[in-house]
Amino acid sequence: MSSVTMDESPNSEEIMSGNVAFAKGAIHAGVGFCTSYPGTPSTEITETLLQYRNETGMIVEWSVNEKVALESAAGASWMGIPSLCVMKSLGLNVAADFLLNLNLSGVGEGGLVIIVCDDPKGHSSSNEQDSRFYAKAAQIPLFEPSTPQQAKDVVAHALELSQIFRVPVLIRSTTRLSHSGALVSSSPFSSHLWVPSQNLPSGLYNVPNPEKQHRELMEKLELIQDKFDNHIMNSPPKEWKDILFVATGVCQKYVEEAMKYIEEDVSFFGIVTTYPVPHKLIHECLKHSKRIFFFEENDAFVEDQFRIVASLENSPCILDGKHSGLVPFSGEMNVDLVLEALRDFMTPKKEAEYEAVPVLDSRSLLIPRPLTFCAGCTHRNVYYALQRVRKRLKGKLVVTGDIGCYSLGVFYHNSMETMQSMGSGIGTANGIARLADFALDSKVVSLAGDSTFFHACIPALINARHKNVDLTFLILDNSTTAMTGFQSHPGAAEQDESDRIVEIEDIVRSIGPDSFIRIGATDVVDLTDVMHATIKQPGLKVMLIDSICRLERKRKQQPQEGSIRIETSLCQGESCRLCVSEYGCPAITWSSDSETAEILDHLCVQCGSCIAICPQRAIQEE
Amino acid sequence: MQNPFNILIAGVGGQGNVTSGKILATAAQREGLRPVIGETFGASRRGGTVYTHVRIGDTDLGPLIPVGRLHVLLGLEPMETLRASLEFAGRNTIVIMSSVSIPPIGVHARTDEYPPVESIISSLEKMCARVHTVDSDSILRPINAIRSLNILLIGIMAGLGISPLGIESLRLAMLDILGPSDKNLQAFELGLSDNTG
Repeated sequence: MSSVTMDESPNSEEIMSGNVAFAKGAIHAGVGFCTSYPGTPSTEITETLLQYRNETGMIVEWSVNEKVALESAAGASWMGIPSLCVMKSLGLNVAADFLLNLNLSGVGEGGLVIIVCDDPKGHSSSNEQDSRFYAKAAQIPLFEPSTPQQAKDVVAHALELSQIFRVPVLIRSTTRLSHSGALVSSSPFSSHLWVPSQNLPSGLYNVPNPEKQHRELMEKLELIQDKFDNHIMNSPPKEWKDILFVATGVCQKYVEEAMKYIEEDVSFFGIVTTYPVPHKLIHECLKHSKRIFFFEENDAFVEDQFRIVASLENSPCILDGKHSGLVPFSGEMNVDLVLEALRDFMTPKKEAEYEAVPVLDSRSLLIPRPLTFCAGCTHRNVYYALQRVRKRLKGKLVVTGDIGCYSLGVFYHNSMETMQSMGSGIGTANGIARLADFALDSKVVSLAGDSTFFHACIPALINARHKNVDLTFLILDNSTTAMTGFQSHPGAAEQDESDRIVEIEDIVRSIGPDSFIRIGATDVVDLTDVMHATIKQPGLKVMLIDSICRLERKRKQQPQEGSIRIETSLCQGESCRLCVSEYGCPAITWSSDSETAEILDHLCVQCGSCIAICPQRAIQEE
Repeated sequence: MQNPFNILIAGVGGQGNVTSGKILATAAQREGLRPVIGETFGASRRGGTVYTHVRIGDTDLGPLIPVGRLHVLLGLEPMETLRASLEFAGRNTIVIMSSVSIPPIGVHARTDEYPPVESIISSLEKMCARVHTVDSDSILRPINAIRSLNILLIGIMAGLGISPLGIESLRLAMLDILGPSDKNLQAFELGLSDNTG
């Protein structure tokens, strides 16, 4: 084993985010294999491991989706390699089918840790699910670190547990841990040599008696409870008071701070091993406390476990939290929500200088700042064309959508009308299009991006072909996973040397749509006409739209040439305003002095797409 | 110093919000303090509101500043400064804000109207201890450094001597995070000497 020094000095501290800390923890724990699909707020964990892979020798990949990622990691674990699988909350839904079988079959000698990053409040997600229930559903152990330091430390604990009990182990983070920076101890780490076993261990299936495997898993869980009883990552109270605060994840820090702002002395229990919370430990809490308050992000996960034991023991201890209406079930937690929950029970310290000053009339000055497509983003052109087509079809058009940058189409004149899970645009379009049998008269369009196409659209597209429905599927292909920061995928322009490109066009053609059209996204007039003609035709039609991500261009430093200007003598002024009110590129503004459009040179990427938008030809290239 | 000392940076994606947080935290570490940064950067690439919370103290804290306990609000854009102020400001808050507005897309579409910056300033004055506004374009355009707005505001904060972060620590932190950059250093120096507010 050779030693690789990566950090500046041994045993120093450096500022790192929770996600970077998870990655460094994985390297220190000896993880040799990491798979992932990008998704905020989890992406930087795998990005960091990719960044260090030359030094560590770890195999790190962006898999096609989370299910394949988890299956791949399980394969490596079975062959003896310590494995890690990283995903965002919604990704675990995709991987859940496999997880709820793997828990019974077991992982290999290498162990397998899953890090799932939840997004309370849905800062960058379409829901705010609590993924901890997968630990309960799969009956596997769960850790919830509260700080970047704990994020780094927890990976080794989780991996060790997985190796001992041969079960997958879940670590749950939330946005405010993954994306927070704090000082974390850093030390040099050594590279490992991983030697795979040449054969699979026996019994990697659950038939013919899954209930036997289930029973064995429950027995393991009993033993894991004992390990969690005195786990080093938990912070049990040093002394017991009548009132106990129990907190998990980042709420540990919120509660610790709130305790400084109240008069009463209470005891505090920060729990990191949140499934299963050992019954012995719950029993101790119930015995020593008169009242317990619970603080956790999203659902009443630990609170529920306490309530079960309290009910079994007929405990007189009062339990307060989400179920008593004091702590919200939705949104993100913070110090203020902790104090609000305690309002009727605790006395706030008098600190006049920190009182908020409500100036309610100022609220009326606020205007929203909706997210928009970047200047020059070709997704805008696709939606602009779709809106024109909608007009030509006299509104008889439904557009189902998907997950990616182009999801912003919901904010662009509501031109994308649905958005649920990865691949659900083409899936739901299948059902809508089948209603042609009931005389549905509207045309059906669904759209998805390139990475999403590979992730989850292919079965639904095959279904559409098989059932012979009339729909148009638009694939907005900008050759990268743009939303999460340009990760590679099977069709991406940028690939590792050892990777082989899978062409979207080849896949689509092999499914055999009635018509296949490949078209560029920069010429809005052409795009509108072709889209209109295609949608009007009967049958299954696929348009592969070659798109451009301007951020990716900028990242690769491919500046455009020339410049765009407004010929003010041609601009129709107030009577038109089409470029700013309908097309809406952030690089076009309205000058109230001259009452004409104006190009913001520092934002304009000189793509020229807007030139064709202006009916007066006032937008020109120099 | 107030312990913890809380700084919030409010602006629009692309204004260097997250970088500012890193500089302040690095400077705090140089001062031997324990910084915590809370970021919301999901929207940072797509023109949305971005806040960075920087908390500086002697123990590790949660990443979000409690309501009213905000000491310095660095406002990269007036509307976002007002939004952040309504959410987090208290009697003690000192605001350092650029008066250069970035209209949201709804303003061009005429679905929303951007209020006069003067009314934003007078609202902030009612809420906060002190409001220091700067016409950042007029300062940064002559040195062709519009993108160094975040550094200008950090410079003003340092010049006013209202944070626990010393001028030298901030200079070194800038070097750590941004590398050698004449424009940023110039913007920082212009900030230090800007006490016209």
